[in-house]
Amino acid sequence: MTRAVRVAAVVLGVAAVVLAPFVLSDLNMRLTNLAIISAIAALGLTAAFGYTGLIQLGQATFVGIGGYTAAILTAKLGWSPWLALPVAIVLAGVSAALVGASMLRLKGHYLALATVGLSVSFEIVAKTWVSLTGGFDGISSIPPFAVAGVAIVNDRQVYWLFAILLSITCLMIYLIRASHLGRNMIAVRDDEIAAQAAGVDVWAIKVKAMAMAGVCGGLSGSLFAHYAAYVSPSDFSLVRSIEYLAIVIVGGETSIMGAVIGSLFFTYLPEWLRFFGKETYPTFFGLITLAVLILLPHGIMGLLRRSRLA
Amino acid sequence: MDQLLQLTINGVAIGCVYALVALGMILVYEASGIVNFATGQFVMVGTFVAISAIAKTGLPPAPAYVLALIGMALFGVAFFLLVHRPLQRQPIVTIIIATVAIGIVIQNIGMLVWGPLPVRPQSPFGSDILNVFGARVTSHVVWVIGVTLALVALLYVYLFRTPVGVRMRAVAQDPDASRLMGISVTRMHALTWIIAAVLAGIAGIMLGPIWLPDVNMGDSVALKAFAAAIIGGFGSVPGAIAGGLIVGVAEVLGASYLSSAYKELLVFGMMVGFLLIYPQGLFGERVGDRG
Repeated sequence: MTRAVRVAAVVLGVAAVVLAPFVLSDLNMRLTNLAIISAIAALGLTAAFGYTGLIQLGQATFVGIGGYTAAILTAKLGWSPWLALPVAIVLAGVSAALVGASMLRLKGHYLALATVGLSVSFEIVAKTWVSLTGGFDGISSIPPFAVAGVAIVNDRQVYWLFAILLSITCLMIYLIRASHLGRNMIAVRDDEIAAQAAGVDVWAIKVKAMAMAGVCGGLSGSLFAHYAAYVSPSDFSLVRSIEYLAIVIVGGETSIMGAVIGSLFFTYLPEWLRFFGKETYPTFFGLITLAVLILLPHGIMGLLRRSRLA
Repeated sequence: MDQLLQLTINGVAIGCVYALVALGMILVYEASGIVNFATGQFVMVGTFVAISAIAKTGLPPAPAYVLALIGMALFGVAFFLLVHRPLQRQPIVTIIIATVAIGIVIQNIGMLVWGPLPVRPQSPFGSDILNVFGARVTSHVVWVIGVTLALVALLYVYLFRTPVGVRMRAVAQDPDASRLMGISVTRMHALTWIIAAVLAGIAGIMLGPIWLPDVNMGDSVALKAFAAAIIGGFGSVPGAIAGGLIVGVAEVLGASYLSSAYKELLVFGMMVGFLLIYPQGLFGERVGDRG
């Protein structure tokens, strides 16, 4: 890849981010905001799965812990969203680290199935523990974020806030990747025994990777709660967990841009497929996902890289 | 006491169905390393194809069910060609997401063909009430247990006493060595998918009258089968049966004595508990991946 192409890509990317709120329609603005929320959760999986190789099918649970924490603290207890945000992030991160610490003996299918069990269990608890979560009805009237006393409710204003938080998340993941921790993660993914032999504390690396997934999930869940003003169990179901992993794989599992592009892809896909009708949408969704998985083994970013565009 | 016995028998019957589903899944996993996340949709297709076979052909139940199971065998072949072949050499996680995607497709097509409403299929074995040591159970439930026992016996004879079964186990143990011995690995894989699909079909036919099935039943069934396989020991045939029975009985007793809302949590709690504390399961071998 030449320097010129790289510069052009960065300029185009920045231009797209800055111009988006001026050119997108209301609907597309809303979809973009939702895609950013997904992207933040997916970036956690870029660290946990893409870098560290943990097949984690419970990401929606950590998003849910973030979402419900934000909802309960602000809608029920009257906290400021800004005050609830760090609590939600820390709680999701700690939960993920605890889950990680207890499940880390498991690999491959076994970790996948254990986290499937976690995701399903979370959904059941969210549906059943009515006094805390509101059960099927969920929690509504969650207040939006406010800056200097002005509530951020307009989709275009929300976009700026979300774009900044997404950039911070991307930067954080980038810094992790560039650090000692990131290299250790990749060593663990590529060959756990070799990594251990080379003195890497595999257990600690995996717990940190899970905590990273939880932190991103918690942030994503909080943003979702305040943006949608409403959370319910179906927002954090196993289906969502699978979707986060699909986002990362379809986008390109080791790529930060991949997680963002994957999120945009999966958020916009239902819109693009609208003309097939609502009834048949899942079939096309499944077939397109399948086609990408089989035809693009390194995801969309892999394709761009191969064609020397990125 | 009679009530406990009655619930236990019903739990065993449901557990038998889970065990059959888990068996199909495990055979495929052992043979090809593919964990089929669309397993539940196989059962759903089985249930609904059987209902359609009766409704559309006007045949009496017995031949209609045979027709439905032939349909399931073809479904297995199609799955082998369209899904197994392209996915064979992909990483685990791609297979997981891909089979989930296929499950979504199958479920959606099922919805378009059969509609979203639940159905109440007739039992192929009749629904008279029998008295078993004081417990009142339907004849369907007794038949389910009987049919499962017979199928498991057949499967054992097939796997351990017939040349084809031995070849199938050889492929499961070492595909490359099997190929060198002149065994067609492709043919054995195809056969495994056929057996898995037919087992799911039988499970679907038997589950119908005790489940109130709709086209979305698949994931729920698959998760129970996963739990059964994990508890019994992933990859183990007796483990799948024991795991299925434990899940079935725990579910029915949990719903009656604890809370019907949390019965599922009990099952998944057991599954995660086994994974964390005893990951090799009741009958599984200790393998690096498991702990």
